Amino acid sequence: MNQNEPVIEIKDLVRKYGREDAVNGLSLTVEPGKCYGFFGRNGAGKTTTIRCLLNLLRPTTGHIRLFGRDPARDEADLKARLAYVPDQVAFYPWMTVAETLEYLGSFRKVWNQDKLHLLLDQFQLDHRKKAGQLSKGQKVQLALVAAVCAEPELLILDEPTSGLDPIVRREFIQTVIGAYQESDPGRRTIFVSTHLISEFEGLIDQFTILEKGRAVMTLEADAARQTFKRIRARFAEDPPVIDLPGLLEARQAGRQVELIVRSAGQPEKELAQTYRPQECVVEALTLEEIFVAALKPKRMPNEATMA
Amino acid sequence: MLIQLNFKSGLPVYLQIVEQVKAAIASGILRPGESLPSIRPLAEDLRINRNTVAKAYAELENQGVIETAAGKGSFIKDSQTPYRKEVRRQLLAGAVDAAIVQAYHLQFTPAEVLELVRDRLGAFEQKNPGHALKN
Repeated sequence: MNQNEPVIEIKDLVRKYGREDAVNGLSLTVEPGKCYGFFGRNGAGKTTTIRCLLNLLRPTTGHIRLFGRDPARDEADLKARLAYVPDQVAFYPWMTVAETLEYLGSFRKVWNQDKLHLLLDQFQLDHRKKAGQLSKGQKVQLALVAAVCAEPELLILDEPTSGLDPIVRREFIQTVIGAYQESDPGRRTIFVSTHLISEFEGLIDQFTILEKGRAVMTLEADAARQTFKRIRARFAEDPPVIDLPGLLEARQAGRQVELIVRSAGQPEKELAQTYRPQECVVEALTLEEIFVAALKPKRMPNEATMA
Repeated sequence: MLIQLNFKSGLPVYLQIVEQVKAAIASGILRPGESLPSIRPLAEDLRINRNTVAKAYAELENQGVIETAAGKGSFIKDSQTPYRKEVRRQLLAGAVDAAIVQAYHLQFTPAEVLELVRDRLGAFEQKNPGHALKN
């Protein structure tokens, strides 16, 4: 395999349920070693896409490659190279934690026992406890232990932290970074679907925002934070109606104006030169704020004041 | 040293690490010969991709700020900077330009800007005795 071959390649994916389009022409590429965020609201098509990746669903049309190969043709080989933590994890309730891990490990070529014990300790998971008696958080932890011990080249996480308490979430993400990326981080790729974006803010290298089965936006995280800006300006008099290239949203309160702008240039400079505010402060939007801005209909101050 | 990321700064995450390490050296929090945290704990601590930390350390190594000994970690180098004066001048000019843009927005006069620079130099020397800019 070519070292730089994409780990995931999706082209023009369409998946219909009856007449409904769950995914409607999605394309994206995930490079090795990256953590790729797959953001969307509930029902945007995230899980359907992941199910297509795993060959749990067949695409209606379009093209999917994992490690350059077709998941429908090379399913077993490809599944040996990835691990998947679904949003609803389920285990046989009568098995203990130890039995569950032994069972899951029996399907794997690689099974790192040292890591397993380390993580069970870290999560304080009792290996004698029945899976049916675990809390939701503990079940997710158990699924993560199983995923990490297999040392897969690709880790697919579907809404992994929703419904978990903040401490468990933190541990979850630290485990993904620490234990999963332990060896050969250049070949430890993460594909995470979530709407709890702020938790993954630092981990995400690149992301796609999905809405109604289509990619609304695909960007590098650093580039996104450099492009989406919030400008707060204060004027001496009533603020003028401001129009800047890339203006997404404007709010006004008295002599203050807050603008959300998508621009690779220096919109704050343009604002200062054209409209001469008394004061002007710029900050980057976080990924979560970018997500909200990307999905919100455009709103302008004159419409807002008329309402 | 404690690194704190600010996602609202608009600065790429790896560059925030680079700049904070350099600032820590300039202010004496990190001294030549001292080690940087290793990649895994720092990545876990900041909850960022290990590759991002690795990229920051590679950049620091490129700039001659740290050196990495295989299996031992990364260490702060002696402050002998490998850059020629002209390159160093350009790097600093970039930072000064950013401050000038900000000064423009905040409506400072050139004289006020220069006065503030003198003021801040004094504050730096007072806060970090022994690490004053050298003549």
